[in-house]
Amino acid sequence: MQGAVQLNILQFSLVYLLLIIVLAIMKKSRINQSRFLIIASLRMTVQLVLAGLILTYIFKNPHPVFVVFYIIAMVAFSIKRVINKNKGLNSKFKWAVSISLAGSGIFILSYFVIVVVGKSIFNPQYTIPLAGMIMGNSMTGVTLGLKTFNENIRSQRTKIETLLNLGATPKKILLPYVNDAVETALLPTMNSMVGMGIVSLPGMMTGQILSGTLPTTAILYQISIMIAICTSVCLTVFCSLHFGYKTLYNSRNQINF
Amino acid sequence: MDGILFETKNLSFNQIIKYKDIQIKEGKVSFIVGKSGSGKSTLLKLFNGTLPPSNGTIYYHDRDISQMDTITLRKEVLLISQAVYLFDGCIEDNFKEFYRYRDMPAPSEEVMKEFLKLCCIPFSLDKDCTTMSGGEKQRVYIAIYLSFLPKVIMLDEPTSALDKENSNDVIENLIAFAKDKGITVIIVSHDPKITDKFAEEIILIERGVD
Repeated sequence: MQGAVQLNILQFSLVYLLLIIVLAIMKKSRINQSRFLIIASLRMTVQLVLAGLILTYIFKNPHPVFVVFYIIAMVAFSIKRVINKNKGLNSKFKWAVSISLAGSGIFILSYFVIVVVGKSIFNPQYTIPLAGMIMGNSMTGVTLGLKTFNENIRSQRTKIETLLNLGATPKKILLPYVNDAVETALLPTMNSMVGMGIVSLPGMMTGQILSGTLPTTAILYQISIMIAICTSVCLTVFCSLHFGYKTLYNSRNQINF
Repeated sequence: MDGILFETKNLSFNQIIKYKDIQIKEGKVSFIVGKSGSGKSTLLKLFNGTLPPSNGTIYYHDRDISQMDTITLRKEVLLISQAVYLFDGCIEDNFKEFYRYRDMPAPSEEVMKEFLKLCCIPFSLDKDCTTMSGGEKQRVYIAIYLSFLPKVIMLDEPTSALDKENSNDVIENLIAFAKDKGITVIIVSHDPKITDKFAEEIILIERGVD
C-alpha cells in the first residue's frame, strides 16, 4: 500500500472547476443560490485550511491543553449551531440541549478512544478527528430531533389543548412527541448504516485507505465509528428532549409553548 | 356561600383583561356573554387552571384553585373548547383514545350510542370522523366529553358549527341531561336566541372593567 499522493496547489485548485457544473445547473434551473455556493465553498476552504494548520501544529507539539481546547471549541460550536437553528427554545430547554450534547458526546468519545482504541484521551491524532465525527453527527441529529418536536407540538396545538382540558397530564400528552422526534433523528444515521459498503464507502474509511491503511483495518474503524455515532446521536437527542420537554410545563400543569 | 360554585375576586389576566367579581351558582345553567375579545374563553381557561391568572383569586366550592391539584380540577370541571379536535379513525376509536388519555376503560357500545343520541348524531360507531362535517365533528366531540360525567361542564361556543335546529336540540338535550345528573353548565355563547331560551343566569363580561 502506498500513502496518498501529495496534492500540489495547482492540482488541488483544479477541483474547484467542478463547481462550474453546479453553477451552470443553478443558472439553468434558476436556483438563486450561486452566492451561497460560493460563500459555502470559500468558508469551507478557509475553515479547513485553518483546521489543517492548527492540527499540524498540535500533532507536532502534542499537549493535553490543546486537545481540551479543541474539544471545548467543537462542543461550543455545535451547541451554538443547534441553538441558532432552533429559535424559540426557553432558556432551561437550551441548557438541557447544551448539557446533553456536551455530556453524551464526551462520554461516547472517551469510551471510543480509551476503551475501544486503547489510546489516551489526550492523544490529538485520535481524539480530535473522532470528536469531530461524533459531535458533528450528534449536532445534526439533535437539530433534526428538536425541529421535528417543535414543529409537531406547534402544529398540534388544538390537540394538546384539548387533552389538557380533558385532564390528561402534560407528560402523557407530550411524551409521544418526544418519542417521535427521537425516532426521526435516528433514522438518517440508521439509513446510512444500511447503505454502507454497498451504496457508499464512507469518508473516514476512504480517507484511511487513501493514506495507505489496509482496507480491513479501515472497515473496523468505520464500523466502530458508525456505532459510536449512532449511540451518540440517540443519547444526545433522547437526553435533550427528555430533559427539555419538562421545561415546557409548570407544577400547575400549564403548558407554555 | 351555599350554592356558589365559582367565585372570583379581583381577577385579571395578562394585565389586559380585568374581570368584575363573578359568582357562578351550582346546579344552574349560566351563560357568559360579552363582546369578542372581552375574555370569555380566557375565563373558562382560568376556571380549569390551564391558564394562570396574573392577579386575583378564583374559588371553587370556597377553595382557592391555586391550592388545588389542577388535573383533578380539570377532570371535575370539564372544558369543551371551541376548537374541535378528534383523532383520525372512527367514532369508537375516538372514545377509546380519549379514555386512554384519562387512564380509563372505554365505555360500552351502548353508553357510547346513548351519548351520541343525546348530541343528535345519527351515525354508527364505525363512522369515520375524518370525513365528517364541522358540525358533526363538534357534536361527536361534545358527546365524548359529556360521557365523562364531570361535575361541571363548560362549553365554549358549543353551537358555532351547528345550524339553528341542531343547536337548539343539542343544547336542550344537554341541559336536560345535566339537570338529571346534577351537573352545573357554564356556556359561552354569541347566540342571543340560545342564551335567551336556556339561560338561568347571565354573566356579562365587559372589557377593561376595574
